[in-house]
Amino acid sequence: MRFALEFDHVTKEYRSMFSRRRLCALDDFSLRVETGEIFGFLGPNGAGKSTAIHLAMGFMRPTSGRGRLLGENFGQASVRRRVGFLAESVALYHRRAEPLVRFYGALNGIERTALRKRAHEVLEIVGLQDHANRNAGKFSRGMLQRVGLAQAMVNDPELLILDEPTSALDPLARVMVRELLLAARNAGKTIFLSSHLLSEVELICDRVAILNRGKLARLDKTANLLQSGQQTEIVVSGISTKNFDGAVARNGFVSFCIPAQSQRAALEKVWNLGGEVVSVNPVRRSLEEIFLEVTAEPKAAAPEGIR
Amino acid sequence: MKPVLLIAVNFVREQRWPILTLLLWVLLLAFLGLVTDIHRQREDLLFVFKQDAVYVLAFSVFFGGSAIYNERRSRRILGVLSKALSRQQYLSGLVLGVTIASAVYCFTLGLTGSWTLGAAGFPISHVWFLMVCLVAACMLAGTVALMFSTFLNPFFAAGATAMVLGVPALAGQIFGARWGYVIPVWELGATVLNSSFNSPGRASWVPVLLAGGETVAFWLLSARIFAHVDIAVAVE
Repeated sequence: MRFALEFDHVTKEYRSMFSRRRLCALDDFSLRVETGEIFGFLGPNGAGKSTAIHLAMGFMRPTSGRGRLLGENFGQASVRRRVGFLAESVALYHRRAEPLVRFYGALNGIERTALRKRAHEVLEIVGLQDHANRNAGKFSRGMLQRVGLAQAMVNDPELLILDEPTSALDPLARVMVRELLLAARNAGKTIFLSSHLLSEVELICDRVAILNRGKLARLDKTANLLQSGQQTEIVVSGISTKNFDGAVARNGFVSFCIPAQSQRAALEKVWNLGGEVVSVNPVRRSLEEIFLEVTAEPKAAAPEGIR
Repeated sequence: MKPVLLIAVNFVREQRWPILTLLLWVLLLAFLGLVTDIHRQREDLLFVFKQDAVYVLAFSVFFGGSAIYNERRSRRILGVLSKALSRQQYLSGLVLGVTIASAVYCFTLGLTGSWTLGAAGFPISHVWFLMVCLVAACMLAGTVALMFSTFLNPFFAAGATAMVLGVPALAGQIFGARWGYVIPVWELGATVLNSSFNSPGRASWVPVLLAGGETVAFWLLSARIFAHVDIAVAVE
């Protein structure tokens, strides 16, 4: 298995220059992001998400531990040629959008003719082709974020690391970015997405990690996380709501939730009562519920296993 | 080399307003050349010329000392360093940018100086030699400021730079002229400031070459320091 991004027992402490105060932003953090997946990276403010991303990009050094970006140790400039990065609160130079994208592309060593064509392409992808000759300094925050995405994609990267890429975007632009990321994943790219927009993450991410207080609190496939695994919803017809605790009548059917281990007994009871089973489904939870549950814990639980 | 040039040109572009403001002072020299009786007012012209030379030296420290700070504070540095660009290349670009900014100014000062001072009897070749001295001094002063700015804020970086540049000058005054060559910014500045119509000064290339060599040394030192600096941490 090839990994696009690996953190191996990484700890990062911030130390004040003059006092003895220390802040542990990441604590023995390990994570592996597989190639070709969209990986959701969640956590409350101050959980250490941006620190992890900045370590991966080589903007800072870990206090201990190590990590690899596309197989190379963190901090190697040459590997960043294959990476696209969009920082949180994107900040760009005040110049026209197309030359700006070309400037960032040129820093990655893209040849001039190819770069001109590619800059035009990426601006079209993010829907800014009509604003290519406008000064980015006069753009709205949402437009700036789209230019930021364009500069991140200008080198056609194998790995996209995006820190809050949709925070300032309107719903239409969010759908555009979502489709863009799905298309990139289908083209074999890896996307590492840090976001507070849990509904977005729920829709597009293959796996999700939740970081809390510098520790990995939860890591699983999105589908697994969303299935509680403990509750089953059964919808039946031909019986009364009185037969099951908490059962409700809806559109001529009766539905109720029971613990998963009681499922067989409940179904037999329905049949014995002369009822018909319409559907049996595991209860799905929202990512928001899981996020709140994980981050509300007084201390982050250790993950069961790191993939 | 291309990324270094891109960073340098981008730096000059970002500093275009301070550079243009500085150039206004040079235009003042040209204006004086137009409106004064050059032969009678030549000492005044030389005074303005020297004053303009001091400005660019101060501005090169300002440019070098604030370059990284401004980029970090605006977070633009993240976008630049997320590309296939090493920190050493980034710093090289900034050093080159400071040098280009100073050179543009010195070239313009040289042009107006050749016109006004040349007409007043100052050797034109010596005007250009003084400009080379000035560019070398600016390059070294800017690089020293840049080195300090990798770990200090611009205010302290400027103070530390003034100390590093000033101590050899002071030692030169007390213990002998040789000490002035340790970091020859003062020596190069003095070459410009001490020149006069009666005695334009001796053209010695030693401090110019020393400044070039020391610029490389300070650039390497700053790259070494900057490689260990966490750049995504809040500046303040």
